[in-house]
Amino acid sequence: PSSRIKMAHITINQYLQQVLEAIDTRDGVFCAELLSFKHPHVANPRLQLSSPEDKCQQVLEPPYDEMVAAHLRCTYAVANHDFVEAYKCQTVVVQYPSLGGSVQLNHLFFFRALPVMFAVTLDLRIFANNAEQQLLKKGKGKVGDMLEKAAEQLMSCFRVCASDNRAGIDDSKKWGMLFLVNQLFKIYFKINKLHLCKPLIRAIDSSNLKDDYSMAQRVTYKYYVGRKAMFDSDFKLGLNHISPEDYLSFSFQHSHRSCQRNKRLILIYLLPVKMLLGHMPTNQLLRKYDLLQFADVTKAVSEGNLLLLNEALTKHETFFIRCGIFLILEKLKIITYRNLFKKVYHLLKTHQLPLDAFLVALKMMQVEEVDIDEVQCILANLIYMGHIKGYISHQHQKLVVSKQNPFPPLSSVS
Amino acid sequence: RSHCTRGGGRRQKQRCEGEAKSSVSVPRGTCMTMCPAYELRQRELQNRLHRFEVLTGTEHDRLPRADVSRTVKEYSRPAAGKDSTRATDLRPPDILLKTVYYLVDDIAASSTLHPWTEVYSFVFDRLRSVRQDMIIQRISGPECVAVLERTVRFLLFASYRLCGQPLRLFDSCINDTHLQECLSWLLECYREGQHQHQEEFQALSLLYNLGSAQAVQHVLELPGSVRLSPPVRLALAIGRAYVERNPVRLLRLARRLDFLQGCALHRHLLPCRRDLLLLYSHGHSSRNCRFPIQKLADILSLESSLTAQLCRAHGIHVGGEWVIFSKGSFTESLSEELQCAQMHRLLEDKQQDLTVSDIIHGVA
Repeated sequence: PSSRIKMAHITINQYLQQVLEAIDTRDGVFCAELLSFKHPHVANPRLQLSSPEDKCQQVLEPPYDEMVAAHLRCTYAVANHDFVEAYKCQTVVVQYPSLGGSVQLNHLFFFRALPVMFAVTLDLRIFANNAEQQLLKKGKGKVGDMLEKAAEQLMSCFRVCASDNRAGIDDSKKWGMLFLVNQLFKIYFKINKLHLCKPLIRAIDSSNLKDDYSMAQRVTYKYYVGRKAMFDSDFKLGLNHISPEDYLSFSFQHSHRSCQRNKRLILIYLLPVKMLLGHMPTNQLLRKYDLLQFADVTKAVSEGNLLLLNEALTKHETFFIRCGIFLILEKLKIITYRNLFKKVYHLLKTHQLPLDAFLVALKMMQVEEVDIDEVQCILANLIYMGHIKGYISHQHQKLVVSKQNPFPPLSSVS
Repeated sequence: RSHCTRGGGRRQKQRCEGEAKSSVSVPRGTCMTMCPAYELRQRELQNRLHRFEVLTGTEHDRLPRADVSRTVKEYSRPAAGKDSTRATDLRPPDILLKTVYYLVDDIAASSTLHPWTEVYSFVFDRLRSVRQDMIIQRISGPECVAVLERTVRFLLFASYRLCGQPLRLFDSCINDTHLQECLSWLLECYREGQHQHQEEFQALSLLYNLGSAQAVQHVLELPGSVRLSPPVRLALAIGRAYVERNPVRLLRLARRLDFLQGCALHRHLLPCRRDLLLLYSHGHSSRNCRFPIQKLADILSLESSLTAQLCRAHGIHVGGEWVIFSKGSFTESLSEELQCAQMHRLLEDKQQDLTVSDIIHGVA
């Protein structure tokens, strides 16, 4: 049991003593705090040193002396708002928890080093982000360069965890896998290299621990995998064995009640998926999560109002594009056609519908440059997808629909 | 307690500093010819000149001589112990651009060099070497863009021109890999500064990568001036038709593409036509109904004889002037005889009077 003195005011020697004690008592959690930028000690000017190597060497054994020295140099860099330097220091820190078992190390790095790994890898990603922002403001650097390098380091850590085949599952580094995978997902999504997620998904799916990780980690994991599945099949949802709806729904339901921001984020992706399946959100839900951008879209789709849909998509274009859902929302046009044509059917009250009627309906919706051939194709697609039961007679220029339930409910059509 | 001597923090810091220093000394080429003198001598002595590089009159000598005005540095795989950074072996940006011009005007566009598969292989390799020089010297800027633009146009043109050639003469997968690499690099260059042909290439990228959500997302995030330019708007509209699964609309819009855009889209045309037949097989599935072949030919942008052939290949019943669609009889598998190359009329019409040189340098 260690006494935790007020971290913001301690001296460098007191700090180092704390670290030493944490190492000696194998207190991975406390050691992680002493190396984490979420912890108040990083604001302590007495620890923000540009060359703490000698002091660290006096108190700590290798390799901890160098690891902690790098951490302290990092606090100095952050205090000076130099995130590029901070990132460089952090890369030095991160290499230690990722060292494999072949090195003769103090036992801390065999047991309970996971909290340390989590803390330092998280900071690595954050600093990579900040460093990139800083460089971009100066007109230097390319988006993704530093994040990609950070990802490489995280992958090394991941590999160490994944290959931990020692007995004693409680201490196994395999428990670190999902945390690291989530960190990597965040990077890959940011730098738009989604294909790099694939081997990670495979690794987790084939792991026997996959359902035993913490709920928070699983929620994050399912969120990213669900999002990736949305883009994977290039929107031909359902061809992939991963159902985006299942994954994102899980994520939404199990994310912590109090975390409105997370729930909203998940909803941004879950809503389009559900809408494609014919499940429209209520305005109440949209208001609750501050997602009224979807309200007009929802209304347009339900009513079969293509004009309103196009207007809604244009009006909130920036938001939808930034979230990366603009494309999938465009897919809603097919559902909208279906709803519009259903109205035509109800209006004409016959099961032999002239194709021209649909053309008129589309023109009323101010759909540009559409002709009768394209109408036939839209109808053919709806029939193919099962949204309409019937057939087109080109000779008679008519759509002949089934007398029974020609427009099956959207939810029944896979 | 054990002593760890590996991965010392101090050494890492020094390594970081060292790295920073070496990044200042990027190789700068001084070779003013299309082929470095050293390589030219070597290949001459080893009888490894390409027949396009040989001095006229010496072709049948025991050791043909190199024509300095026609010898071009070849691509060589980086290897351990091989120093690819010697200044005398590297060509500076203006020489690289001159080299590309030569390859386009004198080789690719030549009316006398045959067969074009051999022309392609030579130009492909030599362009690859140009890119290699650019990478080693970390060249960016207008020459880089000019080189990449011509390379992309060349590879796109080749993907159409050599469509249907046997694998040993033309590998469309390899062509595709290099095309994607060049496109990515080019689009990366476009992130900074103004570029005259950016709209053209954003559109080509969209068309070539039809169906790719990432390609569309990339374009959606571009500034309005590019996004709203005519070529990009047309490419986006074609992409939308694809996503909405309306091949009739897609093929109709495709008629508005120019020749090079057509080349970019070309590999998607046959699958698109196939999809149309699939959708119509389901949408028009009725024993009592007939669909006129001529109409089908119109919407497929194919001659009626080829339309009939395509239908038969997919199990669609063809009877005189009509076809009968039936969802049960449509078959996915395409018979061997029907190749994309037979269906190039749409593109041939677009090519008309364009010379290869026009196509690769870009018609103004």
